[in-house]
Amino acid sequence: MRDTVELLEAIGRDANLRRASPEVLARALEATHASPGLLELVAKGNSTALTTELGIGERFGEHHSQTGAHEDEASLLN
Amino acid sequence: MSSFVTITFAYYEPMNTSNLVSTESRRGSITSVGMGITLGSHLTPIARNYIETADVVFAALSDHVVELWLERLNPEVRSLQPYYRPGKSRMKTYREWVEVMMTEVRAGKRVCAVFYGHPGIFAWSPHKVIEVARAEGYEAYMEPGISAEDCLYADLGIDPARFGCQHLEASQLLFFERNLDTTGHVILWQLGVVGDRSLGRFKTPDAYRELLVERLCQDYPPDHEVIVYRAPTLPIEGPHIQRVALGDFVSAEYTGHETLVIPPVQALKPNAVWRARLDALDAIHGSGFEPAVTA
Repeated sequence: MRDTVELLEAIGRDANLRRASPEVLARALEATHASPGLLELVAKGNSTALTTELGIGERFGEHHSQTGAHEDEASLLN
Repeated sequence: MSSFVTITFAYYEPMNTSNLVSTESRRGSITSVGMGITLGSHLTPIARNYIETADVVFAALSDHVVELWLERLNPEVRSLQPYYRPGKSRMKTYREWVEVMMTEVRAGKRVCAVFYGHPGIFAWSPHKVIEVARAEGYEAYMEPGISAEDCLYADLGIDPARFGCQHLEASQLLFFERNLDTTGHVILWQLGVVGDRSLGRFKTPDAYRELLVERLCQDYPPDHEVIVYRAPTLPIEGPHIQRVALGDFVSAEYTGHETLVIPPVQALKPNAVWRARLDALDAIHGSGFEPAVTA
């Protein structure tokens, strides 16, 4: 079975695959022995199996405070 | 042409430039770089090199798979995710990030701080750690990355130069008296935490977004079409683009990572006063128009 992260990086920098249809992508992934989770995500848009395979969890994405929230109100309004 | 596409794994051997680097004793340094948004597609060559050659890499990434990829580029990755905690002010978390990064810089390490997208956009710590490091005499830089804003222009076909583009953190519309330019695009960010003044919540209830819509309806009709947009983090996905009436925004599909794009609702109005001033200058300096050809 092909390493999922390595495969995703390869797809990300491949001009033919980055915008390929789901059908073309699915065939390419099957040919490279992609993991069942990655195949399911491409075929059905379901990431549950891939999440389990990679042991990934929820991430928090905010890296900025809300301007004007309690901790920087003073610096803004003075 | 066959529709079957093979996946190739190109191997790139970079030129060895290590002998070009000064051999004088190294001091600590830090560079904030952006990972881009889409795995494999957006990482710039210089950001990749900073990551691969760092002694320590700190990671603040919104997608766990991207962090797994980062670990392939440099095994010395330290995730900043564990510093988050529900109920804890994110500003406290961000200050802790700066401190933990500076500890390694002060220890003489070559540090790379990796943030998703562009490290300087909607991110407090990358700017702050550079400010602190420079104040203490260390080398500190930021390298730009491809941001969600960049993806938005490409995916939605918007050129910010055409009508202008006003970007705001969504909460500012509820916290402050802000004027919206409805003749250009208005783009609102951080919708997931809109209205949160505690900095301790990771998502506010829908009622807060309903309040945002109420505020926006002071400037736009409720049936004005808006776009809910999310850029893809995995290269096997496309962008999420949902067009809804402003009044229906809260009922749109929403994960917390979306951006609201509000197209112009009014046409640009010519400014007669300043055009007359331009006419006066043209009379002195020439208009720049090609002279008309007379028969």
